[in-house]
Amino acid sequence: MQLIQRNAPHIRHSDNPKTLQGDMILALLPLYVLGVCFYGFRVLVTMLVSVFSCWLCDMLCSLLRRRFFNFRDLSSLVTGLIIPLMMPASVPYYVVAFSGAFAIAVIKHPFGGTGENLFNPAAGGIAFAVACWPAQVFSYPVTFTTIPLWNVDSVITVPSTAHTLKMGGLPSADLGDMLLGLVAGPVGTVSILVLLACLIYLSVRRTIPLLQPLCFLIAVALMAYAFPRADISRTYSVLYEMMSGSLVFGAVFMLNDPVTSPKRPASRAMYGFAVGVVTMLFRYFGAFDHGFAFALLLMNALSEEFDYVIVRMASGRKGGAA
Amino acid sequence: MDMQNRPHKGVYLQQFKEPALSREIRTFLNASASETLIEHPATKELDDLTAWEIVDIARQAGIVDERDGRPLYQKLQRARDKEIRAVVIDAMDDEPFVSSQLGVLLHMRDSVSFGLKAVRKAVEAESSVIAVYKNLTDAETRIPGSIDGVRVARIGGKYPAELHLSRELGLRKAYITVGVCALVFLARAIISGQMQKSCFITVAGNCIANPTNLEVSLGMNLSMVLERCGLADNPTRVVIGGSMTGISIMDTDKTLISPTTRAVLAFREDEKERNYTCIGCGRCTAVCPQDLDPMFIYRAVKNRRLSMLGFLKAEKCVGCGTCSYVCPSKLPLSTVISKYSKPDGEEDEACN
Repeated sequence: MQLIQRNAPHIRHSDNPKTLQGDMILALLPLYVLGVCFYGFRVLVTMLVSVFSCWLCDMLCSLLRRRFFNFRDLSSLVTGLIIPLMMPASVPYYVVAFSGAFAIAVIKHPFGGTGENLFNPAAGGIAFAVACWPAQVFSYPVTFTTIPLWNVDSVITVPSTAHTLKMGGLPSADLGDMLLGLVAGPVGTVSILVLLACLIYLSVRRTIPLLQPLCFLIAVALMAYAFPRADISRTYSVLYEMMSGSLVFGAVFMLNDPVTSPKRPASRAMYGFAVGVVTMLFRYFGAFDHGFAFALLLMNALSEEFDYVIVRMASGRKGGAA
Repeated sequence: MDMQNRPHKGVYLQQFKEPALSREIRTFLNASASETLIEHPATKELDDLTAWEIVDIARQAGIVDERDGRPLYQKLQRARDKEIRAVVIDAMDDEPFVSSQLGVLLHMRDSVSFGLKAVRKAVEAESSVIAVYKNLTDAETRIPGSIDGVRVARIGGKYPAELHLSRELGLRKAYITVGVCALVFLARAIISGQMQKSCFITVAGNCIANPTNLEVSLGMNLSMVLERCGLADNPTRVVIGGSMTGISIMDTDKTLISPTTRAVLAFREDEKERNYTCIGCGRCTAVCPQDLDPMFIYRAVKNRRLSMLGFLKAEKCVGCGTCSYVCPSKLPLSTVISKYSKPDGEEDEACN
């Protein structure tokens, strides 16, 4: 009988990181199906470029750091899947490839790789693309135009609703169309209904904490209600702000990145709320209409503090009672 | 006060207590053990005995409480000294696979109730209750509502349930906790003058052909016990104690049954250990019954930032293993944390 000394407990829950990351990937795939319906197969090619770039960088960085590369770690694939969904369907391949490489090689690995990264890699990649190639990232083709695989210069592009709001203009998009995703915008972020379905799926699977995106959306709604940007009624301001840009997509897929979000329910609520407020501040005063990615990166740096505040408050309360 | 009424954190664990729990308790005793009797006339009438005589019988018979490894007479004496008048009989078995206390409660009801009467008399108890753990996953186990007029309290909820015993029972006063197996040995010592020479254990796990509750002689080695119940497969891990907190052992020939052994579990797992890192999912924080942040403590230890441990309240850890259980990356959270939290010798004083 060959016995192995093991640590207690001797039974374990069956979930592993692959379960969580697999759930994320599963929830991201419907958005690609939708993207193919709207823009043709170029979306899939963009996805492959991005995923391959992220995965390759992950492997190279692991080699460079002389760490064991875990083939079961799907986190770089999740990053690779998120990045193209935040960009227009007509985005050049090199933008996606460089964003993915930046996300992994600059945002993720220098901080220690999977589980140690301070900032959300996907948000970092998108911020990089926005800063370097704003012209390519902020012009969106209208839906149901098949984008050619190579020559994208001839594609007619329009600004998104988020851009209209940014410029202080009146958004003209129909709210029903925005729910279904029939407006110009980043590939994966337009279809609000599908995104909400993803949110429900992920929170039922307990892959993401529902509290955090809810607090985020509530904060955004409150800000939009209090300070409408365009000359529209407050209710419409709330609806347009919430459904434009990458807000709901970010709330589902980027805000809840387990590595960079706080761990306690109370701190998650605070964090979600804070990201919401900062996102709106970026929208009001920032230079780009992808305010969410920048707000998220900023709050990522503070996410651990949210937990410490709660720990401190708990010990303070106990000390006061004794 | 709101802390008190909040449902406690933890996990629901599938219990795997069957089929051992339903089966009659079998005996597996050393034939050579000569019957030594204590110096006290055997009696079936508790009225013949004074409280101090019962304590003395417990001392002479060498009865050890299976919960904490303390001599029963010391616990009784202490309760008398401090005038503790409430008795909680522990038949919790909140760890999966283990049912050695619950099995004794269900199958040896006469001895248990006699022993309980003796303990009640010894400490002049005003109230007593039998605590049994029952969560949602073991619906087939039938537990009586009362045994000989003593209420059987079914503690529901998540593992670890023992931690919240007093709150669940609504006990405000001090009480002593006595294991149910110790009651059986006390009853035997009073009725027939027997010393405690054996203990009750559960033998279970996915390698055991006939999972069962056994009464085995003290000092028997694990190989014999495992052989008695039959190995269906070659185990890779043999555990003494519960599936959540037990100790994995290397040599079954040299490990012996002691009065505090409550279970011997044999598992075979074919899954390899994967080198995952923490992905920060926060599930350990969500389940920790002591409301700690296991992943922060783990990281503080790994990064040698031991000054953080005080801030993170690492000393509150009770070592229940819940964080390690839920960790998707299978990190040894509770092992590392309990190494750095104080080993609490007085957790079982059961005085609040």
